[in-house]
Amino acid sequence: MKDDSVRPMPSPGQRAASYWFVDGLPDLVFGLMLLIFGALGLWWRIHVPKPWMKFDLLLIGTGFCLVLWKGHEILDFLKSRLTYPRTGYVQPPEEFERTDVLTTLSLKPEPPVSQNVTHFAKRTVWVVFLSFLIPLNQDPVPRWFVPLAMPVLAVALYALNRNAERPYRWWSALILALTGLVSLWVEIPPLLQPLLPLLLAGVWLTAQGLVTLVRYLRANPYPPAPEGVRT
Amino acid sequence: MTQRIQEISQLDRLIHEPARLAIMLLLGGVGEADFLYLQREGGFTQGNLSGHLAKLEEAGYVAIEKKFKGKVPLTVCSLTGKGKAAFAQYANRMLRVLQHRLAWQSGAIDSGPPVIPPASPGVPHDGP
Repeated sequence: MKDDSVRPMPSPGQRAASYWFVDGLPDLVFGLMLLIFGALGLWWRIHVPKPWMKFDLLLIGTGFCLVLWKGHEILDFLKSRLTYPRTGYVQPPEEFERTDVLTTLSLKPEPPVSQNVTHFAKRTVWVVFLSFLIPLNQDPVPRWFVPLAMPVLAVALYALNRNAERPYRWWSALILALTGLVSLWVEIPPLLQPLLPLLLAGVWLTAQGLVTLVRYLRANPYPPAPEGVRT
Repeated sequence: MTQRIQEISQLDRLIHEPARLAIMLLLGGVGEADFLYLQREGGFTQGNLSGHLAKLEEAGYVAIEKKFKGKVPLTVCSLTGKGKAAFAQYANRMLRVLQHRLAWQSGAIDSGPPVIPPASPGVPHDGP
């Protein structure tokens, strides 16, 4: 029999940070943003003359800035209608620590676990964004790029979030990695190739967020369960 | 009793009660949380939680505020400065006692809890 007492108990701060992800909304919102701005970028590449093509970066960059700048407010708005009336409100975790840079430079260990801090932006948003930036200077994008980029992206997302408040499951990361192999058999238009990792990651995150949200809503109907009873 | 053991009697009884300790622990890590979250996380009933929060608020350890998130009204609780200080003091005192106890148990220190000698048969008992 497995001894659960050996497993370290999550601190209240860690539980609060993981509560931010309990409804799947962070993944869902970021995934939808990737799809919307990826589609806008694709539209731009198809309909705009070649010299202006690189401006798709501006469109997608705007999307990322929107997530980093207003992401918490968008999520707070959605959570105030979906999550807080069902399972209660907890102060949203800090996305970036103010001492983050100093901590990294001084090689100090991670901040105390009692702090209500998440690194979703650092571990997920930036990783996906970087995967999009790499092929931009190559025209046309080599055929091996997508089959290579997707496994790398999947491994990076899985590994970086493994010990975080909201880890991705290994089989889910495997699905993301395998999507890259599709491009080995299917002929993908050259215009779509640089945006494909972004769109695939968007579909992956949206699907995960949606499944989590549906499960959460089914497990926690409104009005809340009778007092003191865990659902 | 040794000095360390005597520290137990100096623990803040308001915080020492398990339900209130759970509330202080939850709020300590979270920053602020609403009534519904505390109720679910702590496994409290509504009346139970209200009673304990009222005591903590009366002592100035917890601040309770009515807030609106969008159009949803929330009863948000958070630790006050006084509450944080009291909890830190409680935790330090408790840790010192427990660490001393563990060190004594592992044989790291000699002066542990005194051994009470068994009462000798000829001595009259004080009690009733």
